[in-house]
Amino acid sequence: MLDTKLSRRGFIKASAATAALASAGTAGFNQWSNNYVKAGGKAEIKEIASTCNACSSKCGMIGHIKNGRLWKLTGHPDHPYSKGKLCARGHGYATVVYSEDRLTQPLKRVGEGKFEPITWEKAYEEIAAKLNKIIKEFGPQSVALTEDPRATGKFYSPRFINALGSANYYTHHVVCSNARDAGFLHTVGVTATSADISNAKYIMFIGRSYGDGIRPSSVQSLATAKDNGAKIVIVDPRLNNTGNLATEWLAIRPGTDLALVLAMSHVLIKESLHDLEFIRNYTMGFEEYAKELRKYTPEWAEGITGIPADSITRIAVDMGKAKPKALIEQSWRGAFGCNYENSTETGRAVAMFNALLGNYQQKGGSIFGGKVNLGKLDEKKYPNPGEPDEPQAGSKQFPLAYKGSGVATIVAKEALEGKMKAAIYYHSNAALGYGNPKVMKEALSKMDLVVAIDVQMSETALLAHYVLPEVTYIERDEVIEGLSGKIPGIALRQQMVEKVHPQTKPVHEIYTELARACGVGQYFNFTLDDLNEAMLAPTGITYKELKEKGTIMFPDQEITLGEMPELKTPSGKIEYYSETYKAAGFKPIVEWIEPKVSPANDSFRLITGKQAIHSHTQTANIPILMQITKDYDLERIWINPARAKVLGIKDGDLVEVKSSEAVSKIRVKVTERIHPEAIFVPSHYGITSKDLKTGYGIGFGYMEHVPFDFEKWSGSGNIHEVIVNVRKVKS
Amino acid sequence: MARYGMVIDTRKCVGCYACRVSCQMQNELPVEESYIQFYEKETGVFPNVKNEFVPVQCQHCEDAPCESVCPTKATYTTKDGIVLVDAEKCIGCKYCMVACHYGARTQDHKTGVVEKCRFCAELVAEGKQPACVTTCISNARIFGDLDDPNSEVSKAIVKWNAQPLRADLGSAKIYYVR
Repeated sequence: MLDTKLSRRGFIKASAATAALASAGTAGFNQWSNNYVKAGGKAEIKEIASTCNACSSKCGMIGHIKNGRLWKLTGHPDHPYSKGKLCARGHGYATVVYSEDRLTQPLKRVGEGKFEPITWEKAYEEIAAKLNKIIKEFGPQSVALTEDPRATGKFYSPRFINALGSANYYTHHVVCSNARDAGFLHTVGVTATSADISNAKYIMFIGRSYGDGIRPSSVQSLATAKDNGAKIVIVDPRLNNTGNLATEWLAIRPGTDLALVLAMSHVLIKESLHDLEFIRNYTMGFEEYAKELRKYTPEWAEGITGIPADSITRIAVDMGKAKPKALIEQSWRGAFGCNYENSTETGRAVAMFNALLGNYQQKGGSIFGGKVNLGKLDEKKYPNPGEPDEPQAGSKQFPLAYKGSGVATIVAKEALEGKMKAAIYYHSNAALGYGNPKVMKEALSKMDLVVAIDVQMSETALLAHYVLPEVTYIERDEVIEGLSGKIPGIALRQQMVEKVHPQTKPVHEIYTELARACGVGQYFNFTLDDLNEAMLAPTGITYKELKEKGTIMFPDQEITLGEMPELKTPSGKIEYYSETYKAAGFKPIVEWIEPKVSPANDSFRLITGKQAIHSHTQTANIPILMQITKDYDLERIWINPARAKVLGIKDGDLVEVKSSEAVSKIRVKVTERIHPEAIFVPSHYGITSKDLKTGYGIGFGYMEHVPFDFEKWSGSGNIHEVIVNVRKVKS
Repeated sequence: MARYGMVIDTRKCVGCYACRVSCQMQNELPVEESYIQFYEKETGVFPNVKNEFVPVQCQHCEDAPCESVCPTKATYTTKDGIVLVDAEKCIGCKYCMVACHYGARTQDHKTGVVEKCRFCAELVAEGKQPACVTTCISNARIFGDLDDPNSEVSKAIVKWNAQPLRADLGSAKIYYVR
């Protein structure tokens, strides 16, 4: 103790500036702070505006760079998602730039889990030769590219795969919002609306938790709505962390949200609380829909959902009275994201319920956001590869799925069938997160070529033939991001610190160089700056100005509430009756669909969800975030006390969780916050890559228990269609 | 001269830990060391349940017990009411850690110096807010001058009848709305 104490003192005295600060104890606060400021003057602190990468929200942030090193972050005050604030993962994930587990050079796999360094040139050469061989032999539809999209990826990734002649571009949405996206798309013409939460009087969330899957401005809006007296209802088998901001929790049986929405829609029509004028002006097929709804009474829904009929009626009536400042929030990965066999239909029913309330483009309702008109590259100078001839794999089986996301797990399915031969994964841990890891591993192992572009040795990278190391988002510039909303805007991710590892590269360079090696370099004959300049051209904003500000909003382009935009559905109206559904072989009117599996008296449904400190499994290897998990035992599964008692399980006990797919051991949190029928497991754990030293071995991966499956409508992952048994085991 | 204090509205806190991580980065703390601890209080029986998150850090007590037990006067209170530790004077004896009612102090395992929330005194000196307040995603934290009846913090205390966590343990400068 004494030694370390002395060494601390020695250290302090070595710095004259800091010594002035440390001796300020008797000097009074102002003197002290003046000294501090003077001491701080020694450090050069730069502020650089950029965007976060800790989740898909990509909030605006300011990096505070002390002597060339990232010190801390603050939320960008102008960015509509951060509004001056950042969540824990936003602060913490940035430390990935200095992670000891970063990929530092290109690698080639030489055996199971064994890699050797390879030069960039050689890696490009070998990857290109293999890609071209596969395309020549099996056609371009045998190659695919998958990513969790960010601004640069959104532009470069589809362009790259299209340049190879393939339409097989996919995103992570197969285990995120594919179901909701399909349900909304074929009803209101967009994959998601946004919501005017702060002005709403009655808000229902289904499976969505602003306090767990955080966008700071959303939480602020909800807090404002609460201050203004809004009713806030959370529909979730568990009392999630948004509970504090809610006025009511409906502890629904998991997988039955659709029944609740259908019954509430029934009540609105029965009580004539629906907005007839809105329905007349902006919708089609209402009569058939209303007829179908007659059978979905609150009493019927009570039997399915476990929510008293009286509560269903009361809430529907109150929402009807509060319309149009009432809504079911559009959710994301929540209950109608990718979870159940009926999730697409739940999404559709929600979009339709909001139409009954006439809340679209109304203050306190659902919003179709506006977008800034951004420019494109001049195609004469910079040729565009265009749409490939063959359709995207999976689009025939799942015609309702949104093409911009596709069904990413079809790559694995077709690999197992011997049809898909090569896959590129960028910023995507598909092998752990998109489908059952055993199946994903088998599928990836079957392909002739797998390339992973990442910053760390993910489970997907471990299965790749080539691993290409990217710089982190703290070390790179990106393509301009358009921000859709009531007021549209643009944001820019920029390099904050010098590259930490000289052999790493930003992804736009990797794509450009790999395209050249593949012989399709003509489609990448521009620089990132050329592209950003072209995008900015119509806005009247200079690149220099955007770089300085990071986020620029366009208040003069604010959408006009009360004015419905042109809808992109086939009829141009909100569709209560869908010809698209009919053509795809589905019932054109929404109806009750049973979940695929149901637990028995002695088993549970395994459900998952986010925690505020993590993002997918991407943050599991970040020490400053994982320490919170360790300090508060956040990796535990949740079990209801009544069920725990029957099983002789006490809080903190070690249990075995067994499904048709796997067996895991984990400690339990016994809590009244969970439906007796469900076991909740946070979705961030179960890292199996030993290279990720912080995350490895903590918690279990719920995906190990999820059968590899496709929801019939949108192809999404059915990640809550899992039955497990739980028993106490000795620790 | 001010008397700085804070309101934490636990009715708004969603237990997101943004304050903890922001604080750690602001103060360049090791990952194992945090100035903010979190307590959860679950009440009721399914499905009528409530859950409360209570973030706890140095309460910047008036007549702070940590200050009176400090043998070297390393812990002191500024004229603006902020309780600070002078690292130069701290001998790492941990008396203050025992004296603190809130378990709000941690010891730097490398240097032995005992540290704790400093209300981000250097940011406050620049007219800014402490890092935990700036980043609080639900605006559950309000910081300001308790002696100014028109400050946001004073108004919030009156409006919501905010109380110290343990009024029986002496007067603190963090007030909780619960």
